[in-house]
Amino acid sequence: MRKRGETVMAAAAEKSTKEKLLSTLDDIEVLSRELIEMLALSRTQKLPQPGEDTDILELLVQRDKEFQELMQTAVEQGEVHQEMQALEKEVEKRDSDIQQLQKQLKEAEHVLATAVYQAKEKLKSIEKARKGSISSEEIIKYAHRISASNAVCAPLNWVPGDPRRPYPTDLEMRSGILGNMSNMPTNGVNGHLPGDALAAGRLPDILTPQYPWQSADVSMGILPPHHGNDFGLEPPGHNKENEDDVEAMSTDSSSSSSDSD
Amino acid sequence: MSGFMETEEQARHRFQLELEFVQCLANPNYLNFLAQRGYLREKPFVNYLKYLLYWKEPEYAKFLKYPHCLHMLELLQYEHFRKELVNAQCTKFIDEQQILHWQHYSRKRTRLQQALAEQQQQHQPQAPSHGNTTSK
Repeated sequence: MRKRGETVMAAAAEKSTKEKLLSTLDDIEVLSRELIEMLALSRTQKLPQPGEDTDILELLVQRDKEFQELMQTAVEQGEVHQEMQALEKEVEKRDSDIQQLQKQLKEAEHVLATAVYQAKEKLKSIEKARKGSISSEEIIKYAHRISASNAVCAPLNWVPGDPRRPYPTDLEMRSGILGNMSNMPTNGVNGHLPGDALAAGRLPDILTPQYPWQSADVSMGILPPHHGNDFGLEPPGHNKENEDDVEAMSTDSSSSSSDSD
Repeated sequence: MSGFMETEEQARHRFQLELEFVQCLANPNYLNFLAQRGYLREKPFVNYLKYLLYWKEPEYAKFLKYPHCLHMLELLQYEHFRKELVNAQCTKFIDEQQILHWQHYSRKRTRLQQALAEQQQQHQPQAPSHGNTTSK
């Protein structure tokens, strides 16, 4: 029999079935002993009290009835207890099922998160590739242009002493727009025009052979990106290195040192 | 000063100027010139170099005849490089290496041609030797 825990409050104290049974048994034991004693005594002497044996008998019967009732209760309680145990088992089973599902859900979530992340990476690289895509036609055309002028590959008959170079030579630089800047009225706004540095060397020739590296096909209509025209300001974004000592220099020295004139 | 509006004519002119200038950067001697006159130390100039990076975009790069300038432009973004350019030995070294690299393909081609010629020579001596045995 499962013992029901006794409550602290004495007023509401309920005895467990077990205790009740045991106390009833005790009572029956006591009563039956008395009865037997009385019967034993009545052999030798008269009863001191006339109705005592019937009293005891009545009490005995009563106790027996109680006992039977208590036994019935006990049996019912036992059944209930069994049901409870069965239900508890069910609950445990369900619990473990839920935990299992939880684990699987977590795994699935992890797998999906990985998949999504990788897909995103892939999309990024696709976007990057698409951004940089150029038609092969154009690339081949460009390759022709830069190779034909010997800009990236030396001419086959080149020997040391040949004035040709993979970059614009002095002569070429002077004969361009930049080289002739000091002859033209400057815009004045970009006072720091690096063309002045070029103009520092004396320009002997007026004739300006147009080399192909200078003339872009202006009819293409392409324009340079607009800028605020004040390069003295800090540009957006970071510089590539920690330029501590550069910043120590004064930024208002925007005057170009033109040694000419 | 900032945000002034320029006409299309001015913009086109500026385009040509910047096209010329950025290609001049391919010339190590010019870089030495700039470095020695202190331009590479000035902040506005450095900012201008960073601005010029737009020539790396394909729609602008296709106008460049001397693509070496782009590599130089990238290197110029680093302060250490700009500092080293003051040194004439440094720029001379760069110049030499640049020219050697420039000759790379023609050298490779002459090597291939030589190898091919040698191979053909190896095949050819077999034919005359047949002729000798028959003549004997």
